[in-house]
Amino acid sequence: MVVTVSQSFDTGTILRVRGPLEFKCQLDRTDALLIHKCISTTFEMLHSQVKSESCVLTICDSPVIIWPNRGVYATPEEISPNMLCEDIHQWIQTDEQESAGKRSAKKKSKKSSAVSVINLRLMMEATKTGPLSAPILSKTVQKSHFLSTTLPIDCVVHTTCNDTIKDAFERLLEALTHQLCEMEKVILQHMKGTTLLIPEPLHFLLPEPKGLVTMVYPAGVPDSQLEAQRKELHQQFDLPNDWPYFRRAAAYHFPNEPYKDGYLRNPHLVLTHPSLDNGKVYLVQGIYSYRHYMQDHMDDNGWGCAYRSLQTICSWFQQQGYVERAVPTHKEIQQALVDVGDKQASFVGSRQWIGSIEVQAVLNQLLGVTSKIMFVSQGSDLASKGRELANHFLTEGTPIMIGGGVLAHTILGVAWSETTGQIRYLILDPHYTGAEDLQVITDKGWCGWKGPDFWDQTAYYNLCLPQRPKVI
Amino acid sequence: MFLLLLSGSMGRSYIVEDAVEGYLSKLCELQAGSITGLLIGQSSTQRDFVVTATRTPQKEESAAAAGNSPDKEWVIEHARQVSRMLPGGLSVLGVFIITDADSKDTLTTVRQLVFAVENLISSEHLWNPADDDVTDCVTLHVNPKTRKTFCRTFDVKDPKSMAKPADWKYQSGVCSSWSMVSCCINVNMLVPLPDNRTGTENMDTSLKEELKVWAHQLESGVCLIDGKKLAEDTELTGGQKRNVRQTYTAQILITPDDQRLTDVVQRCGGSVSVRGAIHSRAYLHSNKPKVKLAEKLLKRDVVSTVATRVQMLLEELLTSEEESKGSSRVKQQTEQFCLPRRIFCPVKASGPVCVCDYEFSDEGLSEVTDRLKEMLDIDAGEEDLDTRQETPAEITERDGAAVPAVETVEALEPKRNNYIGVAMASAVALLATAASMLYLSDV
Repeated sequence: MVVTVSQSFDTGTILRVRGPLEFKCQLDRTDALLIHKCISTTFEMLHSQVKSESCVLTICDSPVIIWPNRGVYATPEEISPNMLCEDIHQWIQTDEQESAGKRSAKKKSKKSSAVSVINLRLMMEATKTGPLSAPILSKTVQKSHFLSTTLPIDCVVHTTCNDTIKDAFERLLEALTHQLCEMEKVILQHMKGTTLLIPEPLHFLLPEPKGLVTMVYPAGVPDSQLEAQRKELHQQFDLPNDWPYFRRAAAYHFPNEPYKDGYLRNPHLVLTHPSLDNGKVYLVQGIYSYRHYMQDHMDDNGWGCAYRSLQTICSWFQQQGYVERAVPTHKEIQQALVDVGDKQASFVGSRQWIGSIEVQAVLNQLLGVTSKIMFVSQGSDLASKGRELANHFLTEGTPIMIGGGVLAHTILGVAWSETTGQIRYLILDPHYTGAEDLQVITDKGWCGWKGPDFWDQTAYYNLCLPQRPKVI
Repeated sequence: MFLLLLSGSMGRSYIVEDAVEGYLSKLCELQAGSITGLLIGQSSTQRDFVVTATRTPQKEESAAAAGNSPDKEWVIEHARQVSRMLPGGLSVLGVFIITDADSKDTLTTVRQLVFAVENLISSEHLWNPADDDVTDCVTLHVNPKTRKTFCRTFDVKDPKSMAKPADWKYQSGVCSSWSMVSCCINVNMLVPLPDNRTGTENMDTSLKEELKVWAHQLESGVCLIDGKKLAEDTELTGGQKRNVRQTYTAQILITPDDQRLTDVVQRCGGSVSVRGAIHSRAYLHSNKPKVKLAEKLLKRDVVSTVATRVQMLLEELLTSEEESKGSSRVKQQTEQFCLPRRIFCPVKASGPVCVCDYEFSDEGLSEVTDRLKEMLDIDAGEEDLDTRQETPAEITERDGAAVPAVETVEALEPKRNNYIGVAMASAVALLATAASMLYLSDV
């Protein structure tokens, strides 16, 4: 049983509560049953803590503090339980407020992520009202084990514009209670002797109308060992078994949270897609990072474009959770080609170009991914490949590397009309040498829609179409 | 052309309660060699306030002339005990000496004393010093014959610090309009004891570590004053009439540290817990104190009142263990002990500022008034004591541990030794008389 939200995901507000909960107990015995009882008792205590009047939720970047178990009492006083949840936004100080004048004009032309997130912190009130009796020190002497950790609570609740604070916080409490239950299950399930795995919550965005769901996974157990659980989840949510919705890497990334590695994700999402007569847009599925010249302190200006396109593709496989290995560096790519016998040892460290065939070989060698090669004898013929490209994005959904003339690019999508034959290509250009500035990249067309004249009409092109493994 | 004014740094300014003048005068008239004592009050960046003074108690064995050189160890021990009796906002600001000895020698003596006192007191703090803490301590030399006073400060953070002259001004009602911020705070600590080392010293070490963790959580915790989160720099008495007494109630919200530094599961020889609630308070001077100061002083008082009581209890246990080493006493599996409760006593009849003491469950109020007299030279009657803030601890049958059987349930109450007795081996210690023990044995 999981908490789900069945409404359009793009509207409303997500309330996200995070906070560590201290988990401490003395395990008296090495008897598994008694250990389980000990853990359950500690969880009972945590449940009552969360339901007690000492439980406090503070709204990040704001002076708002709410006691959900005291009739949803809040400070400052102006906040009442019957206020609309989305009104909380007024109290939150954002970076944008500080540079409001400079940025607002430009920002409006871009599509911003429609769902907004309010972050909350789970805390406990240490103070209480008197009268009180002085403390008691209790000492137990017994050879045993002591368990001490913190549970990383992370709950979400999706509210609509009609929800009041009272409604929202009641649901948050339910979510908190539910998460504690899930965490208890995970701990008990994966407990071996006195080794304990920390339960980690992760959120996954499922296709409409299911929305955001939260799963608790045991830390340290790799995805490969959790396949049975994922199968069950796919069944439970009626999801196809060819897309890994529940791998860790596929966890939902909350908007406005910067990625730690600094790369831009899916810059194409802010673009307005072309509308062709009777045309449809076919896009890459899932998430990739934009890799281009000069990143990672690597000056590959003039020779590394295919490498960067390959890196973009590798990032796609990593972020969907198909592979765990990090995106390979130029050297690692070159080494892989030497390892498969495609290149001499002197290739490593050189500035030699690679093409689609090499990209295919590296994907296979390092990621275990197979790819199809499409050959086009002249650039003008690309205009007629609409159907094939559309099919690729429909069934595989992976980014395509295209090399020809003297350039390599990444194709992220195609807009194609079956009837008129009109076609546009969504191109991600690895030749960009600037900083990770979404505005510049989209304004200047480094990620943008191009027409058939983008290609060198007389040169021949090879396309590498990576095939997505049909696993969960 | 610019005229550069090079001025030496200004000396500190001490505003002292009138009553202290009377007290020091009285001591001058005793004509008993050299008399030392402690000066108690609050420092702020601009000026310092001395609220009361207390002489070093006389040692029993040397009832006769105390001799010309003060007993440094004794002075320091007195300071340590007195420190425990000061709620937040009050601290030992320095040392006074009443002697007609040579001024230069006296300065050396008193410098030694003040450094030693400060080093001992700050070594017992479980919190990190803050950037805005004042590190100057005061020394006051009163010549009983000429009644001349010499007031100098030393920066105790700097071992090479030189004496700096300071102002010493008497004033009435120095703390009559001081405000107080207080709260009742829940204590819920549980720590493992190392395998095979579950003695009292181990409890001390383990609990001290946990208290430091708790101190850190409190330091980074959110503090509300009268239900509101105020900006650090807000003045607490801002907007109110001056010279009107204010009391504020604080709430503190905490969260555990995110990083898990220790192993999740470790072997242990047992555990010790401290559970209950305490009353904590801090006094604030009336010269536009800020929220930041109130928070800092209150949080420090929270930690030190718990630490002090744990210390006192463990000192008791250590002493009683010493006593009963000969007897073959079976080590019980679970023992429970009551921490002493906090009792307040006003420094002078009209002011709001109080000192405090801790009363164990087997003591009476007369022991409290005795200690107040001995340590702080305060003449208080039992009716002056504020015993309403905390009620004595009560041991109940269970404290939530999942244990199958309970045989007999009675509380262990260690008898209190008097303060000086615990510290000085020469004093007579009272034996811990256990009424009976609490057994929670495994069947």
